[in-house]
Amino acid sequence: MDDHQFRDGAKAALPIVLGYLPVGMAFGILAQKAGLTAFEAGLMSLLVYAGASQFIAVEMISKGVIWFPIVLTTFFINLRHLLMSSTLSLFFNKNSIRTIGLLSAQLTDESFAVAMSDTSKISNRHRYLLGLQMTSQLSWISGSVGGAFFGSLIDHRGYGFPFALPALFICLLVLQIKSTNHFGVMVIAGICSLFFKWAFPGNWYILLATLLASGMGVGIKPKAQR
Amino acid sequence: MEQENLLLIFGMAIVTFIPRFVPMAFLSRRDIPEKVKMGLEYIPVAILSAIVFPILFFDGEGTIGIQPRLLFSAIPVFAFSWKVKSLWGSVILGMLIYWGLEFVL
Repeated sequence: MDDHQFRDGAKAALPIVLGYLPVGMAFGILAQKAGLTAFEAGLMSLLVYAGASQFIAVEMISKGVIWFPIVLTTFFINLRHLLMSSTLSLFFNKNSIRTIGLLSAQLTDESFAVAMSDTSKISNRHRYLLGLQMTSQLSWISGSVGGAFFGSLIDHRGYGFPFALPALFICLLVLQIKSTNHFGVMVIAGICSLFFKWAFPGNWYILLATLLASGMGVGIKPKAQR
Repeated sequence: MEQENLLLIFGMAIVTFIPRFVPMAFLSRRDIPEKVKMGLEYIPVAILSAIVFPILFFDGEGTIGIQPRLLFSAIPVFAFSWKVKSLWGSVILGMLIYWGLEFVL
């Protein structure tokens, strides 16, 4: 019975695999371009396993940023998992802390979205979620390592490669514009980031603009509702 | 292998794991304050905007300005992402346009 759950979860992950394999490869290629080895790219995908922050880290590494601002930025990007983790806690209140540790370490936007599409399948059935998440992460790691190996064979300055990451970020940004308030936060963050980048050295502008704009977003929300 | 890269990866892993783990392990039914929820909701859009704008509106030398090749590649990608919402499609399209512009500009 248990194996059935795991297999069902793995099957439910297939749409995620289709998305993760190529994006994981793009990560591997860009990580290799930024100076990481295939091992390091794979290790990051194994231990961190958070797409947007991995791309942002690679972008910051390629600009020579020291580790601390990258870790801090990663923390703020991935803070959003608090919400998903809180939601999942409703369905896994009978599991050991070890199982919860394993399940929560593999939590992503995509696997959460799939898991939430039919909550009857996950309620205290941790092996289903495990199958879903492990299959997803396996494809992410495979893509990353493959991309990092493959990446050394490709001329990264030529063709369209310099625009791969900007295009990815543009699409991720567009996908995040879920309301007029989100749009407002985007505009504020964009303008602030230009100012902070101009005013301060290093890559602190990302963090400063993010905190300021999302704080202002919370401030403008009640007015928009009235 | 550089030690700083390992330090970076472990640091990222720890700070990513904490918000994933803590609520699931220790919250069962408590609600997050509405304002905090809202702030968390805006963080992804703010971060991505703070990354994208400086790419498009800074010239190579650290002053505010425009690089036509980047901007002309970005506009269709914005439009495509808005309509099609495909991550991989946007990346391929953006790369093709950027590559094509090499021969035009």
